[in-house]
Amino acid sequence: MTRLFRPYGKKRGQRRTGSRRLGSLGEALFFLFFFGVGASGLTLMLTRFAVPEWRANRHFVPAQCVVLNTRIASRQSDDGMQFRPEVLIRYEVHGTTYEAATFDIHQAYSSQREDQAALLAPYQVGGTYSCWYDPADPRVVVLVRGYNWWMWLMLILPTSFVLLGAAGVLRAMLQSSTSVERRSALVRKAAQLDLFDEAPARSRDYPHVPRIDNVTDSPGTHLAYRLPVEMTSGWPLFGMAVFCLFWNGIVVWAAVRVVGDHLAGQRDLRAALVLALFAVAGLALCAHFLRQCLIATGSGATRVEVSGHPFFPGMTYQVFLAQTGRLRIDLLEALLVCEEEAVYQQGTDTRLATERVYQQSFYRRQSLEVRRGRSLEDVTEVHVPVDAMHSFHSDHNEVKWKLIVRAEIPKRRAYQRSFPVVVYPLPEQSDLG
Amino acid sequence: MTDLAIALQLDEHDGPYWPGEIISGRYGVRTAADDDVRAVELSILWYTVGQGEEDLAVHHFERRAADSDDEGHQANFSSLRHFQSKLPNSPLSYEGILVKIRWCVRVRVFRARGKEALSDKRFFLGAVPRAQAVTPSP
Repeated sequence: MTRLFRPYGKKRGQRRTGSRRLGSLGEALFFLFFFGVGASGLTLMLTRFAVPEWRANRHFVPAQCVVLNTRIASRQSDDGMQFRPEVLIRYEVHGTTYEAATFDIHQAYSSQREDQAALLAPYQVGGTYSCWYDPADPRVVVLVRGYNWWMWLMLILPTSFVLLGAAGVLRAMLQSSTSVERRSALVRKAAQLDLFDEAPARSRDYPHVPRIDNVTDSPGTHLAYRLPVEMTSGWPLFGMAVFCLFWNGIVVWAAVRVVGDHLAGQRDLRAALVLALFAVAGLALCAHFLRQCLIATGSGATRVEVSGHPFFPGMTYQVFLAQTGRLRIDLLEALLVCEEEAVYQQGTDTRLATERVYQQSFYRRQSLEVRRGRSLEDVTEVHVPVDAMHSFHSDHNEVKWKLIVRAEIPKRRAYQRSFPVVVYPLPEQSDLG
Repeated sequence: MTDLAIALQLDEHDGPYWPGEIISGRYGVRTAADDDVRAVELSILWYTVGQGEEDLAVHHFERRAADSDDEGHQANFSSLRHFQSKLPNSPLSYEGILVKIRWCVRVRVFRARGKEALSDKRFFLGAVPRAQAVTPSP
């Protein structure tokens, strides 16, 4: 039975279980639900708010009215009493006299009674004012017109649901009715037609090889290109800094209030105790953040420059290494490394697997001392193996090449810094010519 | 015993293909009933195999529908049709640990009745040796 009807899919080795057709149906239903919710919300907002407001501003006819009475209308809701302004007016349309209790087109209630009362202030009983009535139904009349921009902005929400839902349904239909090869060919054709594609010709000639712009845009001081360092600790440090600021901001805000209350003679020992605990935690956070910053930056900067880029198999390149800071190094080593990366789903989690498949130590020095103001500099060579796989990048799979500089420092944890490089495949024979 | 046979042949070639080389061959479909085939697609593509989710990209694609061949006549799927394409510079075939890149010529047949049928003919682009796992330096 499960062979005929498999409601869920698993990846078993190189194949997937589960019905593709059922998957597409589920996807279509999911996006149809989005579309339905969006369409309902949009219809409701348009018919209830947007269209009446638009008509009141654009199509209602001006007239004069006399105010007979003003009052604050009220109603009981789940959130308590709610209020709205109401003005009883008398006006004439084509010889017929009408009376209506009105204000604006929405007649919305609010919990702020004073605000609603303030809206009635300009209207005096017996006074004559401008009003606007609906030519299609003169009983519908307003004293106040204007656009509620917040409401128009809110239309973005259901509209995005409608667009997302419609795109999802179309995509699911396209997926179920066309082969994976045809879809891929369509995507390729669309990419070729992209007028705004700024990829250099070389990148287009080597499909699925990563672009090299971020390296070739940065010239070196000793050799042709300075390699960018792979940031591994930047985002965690940034996140920690934001959290640290947020936490200590709350502590400062609370401290100002507690001190203010204290000066005003309201002493709250419990609040002061809680604040002290929060302040201690805030200080600990700051200390941890500073320590991480010191670990990240304390070893000084490492600079790597290369004589050519991209790398090609079988070629040898000069490498310039520079280490700044003030430290003693037991071992300084530079490696050329190739790693495979694969992104896969495990349940609802997205996981990344990494495997190193090539490693060549091309520089190794022991017992070094780097003095402040005088960086350690050296030039060496790296040879790319003739049968090396080129760098490769697709949505879920990657082959990455990089230069790694690692240092072992006495009484401290060894550190290493990675500098991504791109290895191209050897071009076709005619290109070598 | 199936009532549909896909013929897919690559023209003779020694060893792996290289970037810029022409790959060529013939393909056709034989069925018991003439009207059983709605469309036939030929693709030259690569796909990934391994721990990661599968990626796939088509390098060359052609589709023949039953009611519209090149001259607007009823397509004749049983006669072998020639195809050829210049191979790209990348990606090369690769047998890694986590990532494997495989090139193939694929014929997919859409039938009027029953499931789609497909036939693959694998080939190698380049000659990158099989990868070996390496223990990273401490």
